[in-house]
Amino acid sequence: MNAKRKAYDMLKKKLKNKCLTDTLSRIQYAYDATQKMYPPDIVILAEDTNDVALTIKIANKYKIPVVPRGWGSGFTGGTLNVDGGICLSLEKMDKVIELDLENMMIWVEAGMVNWDLQGYVKPYGLFFPPDPSSWKFSTIGGNIAENAGGPRAVKYGVMKDWVKGLELVLANGSVITVGSKNIKDVAGYDLVDLIVGSEGTLAIVTKALLKLHPLPEAKKTMQIVFDNMREAAVMVNKILLSGVIPVAIEFVDKFAIKTVKDATGVDLPDADAILIIEVDGNKAEVELQTQKIEQLAKDNKSVISFSIAKNAEEEEKVWFARRTISPTLKRIANDKLNEDIVIPRSKLAEMIERLEKISKKYDLSIVNFGHAGDGNIHVNIMYHTDSADETKRANRAMEEVFDECIKLGGSITGEHGVGITKQDFLEKQLGRTQVELLRRIKKAFDPNNIINPHKMRL
Amino acid sequence: MDKRLYQAWESCVKCGICRSVCPVFKEEKSEPYVARGHITLLSEFIKGNIDFKEETAKDYLYKCLLCTTCVESCPNNSETDTIVEITRHEVIKRHGLPMYKKVLSKLLKNRKLMDFAFKSATTFSPLFVKEINNPRKGINLRISLSEIERNRTLPPLSKKTFLDKYGSNKNRAEIAIFPGCLINYTYIEIGDAFIDILNKLKIDFTVPKKQLCCGAPIYFAGNFEDTRYLAEKNIELFLNLDVEKIIILEPTCASMIKIDYPKLFMYFEDKKWEEKARKVAEKIIDPISYLYNLANIKERLRKLDIKTTYHDPCHLKRALKVKDEPRYFLKAITNYNEMKEADRCCGNGGTFSIDYRDVSLKIASRKVKNIVDSKAEYLVTTCSACLMQLTDILHLENKDNIKTVHLLEILNEALEV
Ligand SMILES: Cc1cc2nc3c(=O)[nH]c(=O)nc-3n(C[C@H](O)[C@H](O)[C@H](O)COP(=O)(O)OP(=O)(O)OC[C@H]3O[C@@H](n4cnc5c(N)ncnc54)[C@H](O)[C@@H]3O)c2cc1C
Ligand code: SF4
Ligand code: SF4
Repeated sequence: MNAKRKAYDMLKKKLKNKCLTDTLSRIQYAYDATQKMYPPDIVILAEDTNDVALTIKIANKYKIPVVPRGWGSGFTGGTLNVDGGICLSLEKMDKVIELDLENMMIWVEAGMVNWDLQGYVKPYGLFFPPDPSSWKFSTIGGNIAENAGGPRAVKYGVMKDWVKGLELVLANGSVITVGSKNIKDVAGYDLVDLIVGSEGTLAIVTKALLKLHPLPEAKKTMQIVFDNMREAAVMVNKILLSGVIPVAIEFVDKFAIKTVKDATGVDLPDADAILIIEVDGNKAEVELQTQKIEQLAKDNKSVISFSIAKNAEEEEKVWFARRTISPTLKRIANDKLNEDIVIPRSKLAEMIERLEKISKKYDLSIVNFGHAGDGNIHVNIMYHTDSADETKRANRAMEEVFDECIKLGGSITGEHGVGITKQDFLEKQLGRTQVELLRRIKKAFDPNNIINPHKMRL
Repeated sequence: MDKRLYQAWESCVKCGICRSVCPVFKEEKSEPYVARGHITLLSEFIKGNIDFKEETAKDYLYKCLLCTTCVESCPNNSETDTIVEITRHEVIKRHGLPMYKKVLSKLLKNRKLMDFAFKSATTFSPLFVKEINNPRKGINLRISLSEIERNRTLPPLSKKTFLDKYGSNKNRAEIAIFPGCLINYTYIEIGDAFIDILNKLKIDFTVPKKQLCCGAPIYFAGNFEDTRYLAEKNIELFLNLDVEKIIILEPTCASMIKIDYPKLFMYFEDKKWEEKARKVAEKIIDPISYLYNLANIKERLRKLDIKTTYHDPCHLKRALKVKDEPRYFLKAITNYNEMKEADRCCGNGGTFSIDYRDVSLKIASRKVKNIVDSKAEYLVTTCSACLMQLTDILHLENKDNIKTVHLLEILNEALEV
């Protein structure tokens, strides 16, 4: 306790009004999208790398947990101060450092919001491909920490494919830069790739060097409606086998269709499943890809309808419905176990069938939607917290979902990370030896275990 | 408190979407100043997990415009405005009403006292105000009066109020008019324009003399008890009228009476008055939608050769859901050019613009570029508070060449006798 008091006094002396210690602020930095609450002892609103380094130095000296925080949209509790300590918010560090048009790269501060970056580079005819549904309210730092991805992952990959370099503050407070602007660079271990997806447990990211991509000349969004979910899953593979690599292939199951309809009033067809497909490229490419997909849809008996968004407005409508599913689920039941399992694409149809069986077995609604193109399914097991029985069933159902997923060669998380909500399942997924190796890596970076401790059971 | 109100905060899933739209958050970049933060505080306060007084939590409680931009984007419709109002009230209930709020509510509850305050101000005004003419007629204070800064452009004061001019005891008419305090005391010319329009269209109206302030300023400040007094008085008055429609000229007052009165009685679990409030609500409409629905007005409007753009007042667009009607008129009779982000809050937010003038101006300033880019000569809106704020910011940023007008003034100009 004494150590904590000393550390906080020192922080307050050095960082003054960048420290928040009152109860109200601490409560407002206590949660993320998991809706769990763990108030930190103190909140630091860092404005630059120096503020971060100073905070870490003091934390390390007094061995106090520091939890980095972006915009708190995380789904696995990564930014929660489960053991009190310091909440290190990077939300004020949101500036562009350098736009390098020749190399098509950009250095930004970690607190910059993904959407703001998109807006910044667009006038130069460029875009940043990773597009988590939360892109308007999540930071590059958070996206890096969770190796976030979005619908465009089918064609453009996820965060790790676009991060070229990082400025890091290590556990002892020293500042280093890893990676470079070189397309090829094999000097030493690839620390950039190690940090991407490390959930803020190894080092604090203060700046990031990101690759950009020219905006495609054209794109098109299509919607295929199915009377059979399995056929929708099969269609995904057919499309890819036909040589078309869409930017995105998203699917929405019948329960998800209903919730979004009820919540937003968006006009969606009653169906068993919907696929949303986006293609891009030059005009001729887009035309060709669209034709191929249209033909595949025509040849399939389960397809109820095929439509192409006519303008930006219609496109936005289609995507809005898809993006809005997750936060509207509360209408079905007051709580959900929200898992983002991922399976090899070929197993999509099989997994969906197994999920239906689990739903029947435990008598719970399971709403599924997600990135069919990369096998990433958002499984939402809906239950009412006031029923002890339902809660128990939901937890059992989730374990079974994970078991089935692992059996099919899948993984327990495709993009949201492990954090605290999935930590009990990590060993099941990786095996003890691998988890031990992770622990040793964590120790090498952070001997005093101060950076985001107690996450992923590390 | 009625359980139905709980949904306002229980529905929040802490996703953070509101962070991407809240105008205050955009300037402040910190969790206390966004819907998710407000909602969390309230639920913790109501559950009894934390306690705070108004002095210690002032910014947390009051640095919110109640603009409902967040509600519009929230996938769960979590009503931050309701939540913030209730929190403000709960704090007062637990810890008492501060002095300045007592004075304000005394004033609003008594028409004579309020008239007296405004008229005395008018009498002495030449001593301490300087008149300005652009972007519209207004005043600057020569001295700083309490919190209101000297460089702020306020509406002009006038000797005769709208109610002095038109108030009557007539009970029966086609429509009744409720001007709202800003039009009653300051922007009387906007009220005049509406009366002119009605006369030209030969519509029989009454302006009930006994109407009181709708209570919005004290309701937003959490003083539910005194608002209840005003609400009951106004509801009684309205229920006794034999009219088709009640036209409320200010969108804030309209949404207060139409939407917040029923909510207020829900809060007090007063079913009888909630019922009455809902009955009144059915008759309430804003003047633009009212005119839009008239069969005989559209062909009588002549074309004005002016370039216009439009600013959506939060209460008209988000609370009353009126956005197409004003645009219909402007497109029909002027050279209209939609500005970018027309529905971005102007940053006025009532007392917000006094308590947090710096943030308020930063928010307003974000509108200026869009207004200028629209190439409009006239910035048109439908709310006096927005008009005041936008006049203020355009004057401060030396954009006096753009005139600020109320849509009713334009319609009156265009309407043939
Ligand atoms: C409605 C909704 C939709 C979503 N959709 C998607 C989606 O499509 N794809 C997807 O991948 N995710 C999605 N997410 C999850 C979430 O938005 C992402 O994980 C996002 O990357 C988190 O960013 P953040 O800035 O909010 O980070 P936070 O929640 O604040 O933090 C997340 C983790 O990152 C760490 N961290 C944050 N900043 C830094 C830093 N500078 N250095 C080191 N560590 C740091 C934190 O410690 C924590 O462990 C969604 C969330 C919501 C609420
Ligand atoms: S208020 Fe709405 S948008 Fe904001 S966090 Fe809550 S649910 Fe999300
Ligand atoms: S009402 Fe307006 S100012 Fe208040 S939290 Fe919502 S968006 Fe922000």
